[in-house]
Amino acid sequence: MNLPQGTLDLLILKALSLGPLHGWAISERIHDVSRATLEIPQGSLYPALHRLERRKWIAATWGASDNNRRAKYYELTRAGRKQLGEEVDAWAKLTAAVGLVLDMT
Amino acid sequence: MWLRALFRRAEVERDLDDEVRFHLERETEKYVRQGMMPAEAELRARRAFGGVERIKDDTRDTRGIGWLEALAQDMRHTIRGSRKRPGFVLAVVLTLGLGLGANTAIFTIVDRLLFRPPAFLNDPGRVHRVYLVERHDGSDVTDGHMAYTRYRDLARWSSAFSTIAAFQDRELAVGRGEETRVMDVGVVSASYFDLFDAHAVAGRFFSSREDSVGAGAPVAVLSWTFWQTRYGGRPAIGDVLEIGELRCTIIGVAPPGFTGVDSDRPVAVFIPVNAFGVHAGFFQHPTDYYLKYNWQWIELLARRRPRVSLSAADADLTHAFRMSVEAERAVRAGTPTVDVSQPRAVVAPIQSGRGPKASNVSRVALWTSGVALIVLLVACANVANLFLLRSLERRREYALRVALGVSRARLLAHVVTEIAMLAAPAAMLAVGMAVAGDRILRVLFLPGALSTTITGDPRTLLFAGIVAVVAVCLTAVAPSLEAGRVNLSGLIKDGARESARGGSRVRIALLFLQGALSVVLLVGAGLFVRSLYNVRTMRLGYDVEPVLYANLAWRGVTLSDTQRVALSHRLSDEARTIPGVSSVALALTVPFYNSWSEELYTVHRDSVAKPDRFTLQAASPEYFHTVGTRITRGRSLTEADRAGSQPIMLVSEAMANTLWPGQDAIGQCVRVGADTAPCRTVVGITEGIKQSSISDDPGTQYYMPIGQYNPDQAALFVRMTGDASASAETVRRRLQRLMPGASYVTVTPMRDIIDPEVRSWQLGATMFVAFGVLALVLAAVGLYSVIAYGVTQRTRELGVRVALGAQVPDVLWLVLRDTIRFTILGLLLGSAIALAAGRWVEPLLFGERATDPLVFGAVTGILALTAAAASLLPARRAARVDPNIALRAD
Repeated sequence: MNLPQGTLDLLILKALSLGPLHGWAISERIHDVSRATLEIPQGSLYPALHRLERRKWIAATWGASDNNRRAKYYELTRAGRKQLGEEVDAWAKLTAAVGLVLDMT
Repeated sequence: MWLRALFRRAEVERDLDDEVRFHLERETEKYVRQGMMPAEAELRARRAFGGVERIKDDTRDTRGIGWLEALAQDMRHTIRGSRKRPGFVLAVVLTLGLGLGANTAIFTIVDRLLFRPPAFLNDPGRVHRVYLVERHDGSDVTDGHMAYTRYRDLARWSSAFSTIAAFQDRELAVGRGEETRVMDVGVVSASYFDLFDAHAVAGRFFSSREDSVGAGAPVAVLSWTFWQTRYGGRPAIGDVLEIGELRCTIIGVAPPGFTGVDSDRPVAVFIPVNAFGVHAGFFQHPTDYYLKYNWQWIELLARRRPRVSLSAADADLTHAFRMSVEAERAVRAGTPTVDVSQPRAVVAPIQSGRGPKASNVSRVALWTSGVALIVLLVACANVANLFLLRSLERRREYALRVALGVSRARLLAHVVTEIAMLAAPAAMLAVGMAVAGDRILRVLFLPGALSTTITGDPRTLLFAGIVAVVAVCLTAVAPSLEAGRVNLSGLIKDGARESARGGSRVRIALLFLQGALSVVLLVGAGLFVRSLYNVRTMRLGYDVEPVLYANLAWRGVTLSDTQRVALSHRLSDEARTIPGVSSVALALTVPFYNSWSEELYTVHRDSVAKPDRFTLQAASPEYFHTVGTRITRGRSLTEADRAGSQPIMLVSEAMANTLWPGQDAIGQCVRVGADTAPCRTVVGITEGIKQSSISDDPGTQYYMPIGQYNPDQAALFVRMTGDASASAETVRRRLQRLMPGASYVTVTPMRDIIDPEVRSWQLGATMFVAFGVLALVLAAVGLYSVIAYGVTQRTRELGVRVALGAQVPDVLWLVLRDTIRFTILGLLLGSAIALAAGRWVEPLLFGERATDPLVFGAVTGILALTAAAASLLPARRAARVDPNIALRAD
């Protein structure tokens, strides 16, 4: 299923809210949690990560992965956590509003 | 991050690589765990990820540094590539450099003639030259010159201007004795200095009190240059300097660069207009210059008030002019009414080249800048072709890069970067060329102008920069289109070898364009060369090269008429003793500098309607031999024709035909000056001379013995056996020794008198030939490179053809087809443009139609020969293709 416009950032931020992850793990986690419904377009993932990093919502560090290889880990910054809150609220409002319209009889 | 990205590029790139690789590895592992074969898993992972390079590119873009980094990458790539192909780089830099250089060099001239306002001038957009238009015999006559009285009227009766200033450049003798030199003197009103934002570097400018009407003070302000050369920068305030008839006290020195409003005639000294009017003027009575209207010697500058439009200024000034004409009618009988003369005034830009009386030189300069642009176009087309050829070799590289996910925009940026990087050294070369060419151009266009340093001139550098950018854009069009059209599927498979045909249409089109533009320039060159030839070989009615003109100025000495006559004879005798002098004559007037006329009366007509049409000369018997005017019939002047002997005259053929059509002029009687004057018998007929215009002079002159007409006003003509110009200074020194007191001699070669009259043709010929040859060489190089490249690319094809039995002529035909098309189409297109443009050039030509078949024929020959020469080498190579070698190349 394709992601609606603008939700990729939200999903990345949410995925990182539980702890630092590297890029591949982010896409895997979203895939798994959504019960394989959401497929992260991999071509957009890394540009998005670098964009969020530049906005200082996430920070990156190089660390060792579980199989002991060099991997780039992303984590939420304070600003990123605040941004996530705002985006979740906005999303909730949006879905509620869309739901109301769709329930129209 | 931004800075880190810029400065630690390598590290950032490596990080990105690592990150992407890590991702792909994990993805692959995942698929392997699901049971795929490793190779299949990797492929799947890659496919899922998409184009690696494109994603890296996108990621780079999000860092905000993408373009800068891309630029750096392209530049490094260009430099790497350039090192490998110095010949290509040299060709591009030289070609663009020549094109840009031609434009930069000509810009410095056009700028000075047409655009650059005089130094120090305040708000130049509102300062105007004033021209007066009056109707004479049914046609409007525009003149920038007027009487001082008119200037006062216009200043008094107009209200649209905050400052009105009178000025006039006059050549006057400056200094005394041996030091005396004729220089440009700025005769200006005190208000003139108010137009400028300049302050005297020593002393002061003159005040309105020193320039009061009827009582100008003899004071002078030196130009910086004159102060430096004559006084070596020593304090000069208070010194006396002789200027023309005036003994002036120096009161100030103008700042460097303050040299008046005409860039081609820098002023050496400024004096008050009223001082000149009172003491040195043309009139007998010192009040005449500001009360009468018949000495038209002043030019006007006027500063428009804020919020006054150009048309309002014209209207205001026209109103003042009409009132002035009414005032003139009160003091000058015979002045036509305003209804007849319909006087009107126009304000024009300060640069005289943009006004209604623009000289032919500024027109030719403008044409020349158009020509320079054409050269630039040819150069751009050429460079574009070179890049196209190169991009053909690199098609595979481009195709691969596109396949790897490099965007087309990125590819275009790369092409533009490459061209721009080569244009930078070309622009530097251009400025260098302009510096070198400036001296030559200045001598041609602005012989009097002071030099300015081009390298330190922001206008020229800015111009060079802008033209370079435009050239890069023009040049980049074709190669960019080509790069944008890269076709993925076929190319990678095919390899580079056989893919040359695709872009050839663009290249051929560019080649035709070059050919056509060269033809246009060559036709122009031919027309101007023929014009110049016509001017040079035209019989002026006198010789130019061997003749010197020596003018005697009786400044500060009071000699009786007889004393002057005696002195002028002593001067003639002295001149005859100078080595190299073959003959010396006395005469009253010299062509182009001055002319005299009198009213004439003949038996059949009591007055010849327009006395101005016949110009008179009074001369000694040696005159005709000295200047070279031929006598076609009758006799010459002799020693016996002196004061008191029978009054005689010679007339030109044209004058004889006008006065006595169908009759014999010899023996006719003419009364000169009054119908009561004694009868002058015509004793000889002469050829007509060019008296005041090279192109249309009626050639109606008559000659009287100088003993019978104003012998005290004589000047000397000296004929040399050798180079007259080189002897001018020797002759001047020898004659000056005999001059009493402050009086002085000026010696001018006839060449210097005639040259300004033929300068526009000289210029046109020189510039068109120089640029035409340049364009042709560029086009030839372009043709050569395209054909040579084609032969290299098609060696295999030619080899196959030869193997299959093609003969040498068949091969040559394949190679030369483009050459022949280039020649024919270039000629057709170029000739069409040249014929269309001819209408506008024709007025600048001399004795030459813009459609001269001789010129077009010659250009055809030159183009064909050049094209043949350019394709000779490649054709020979093609003819020698050995199928064995060609086919084994793979």
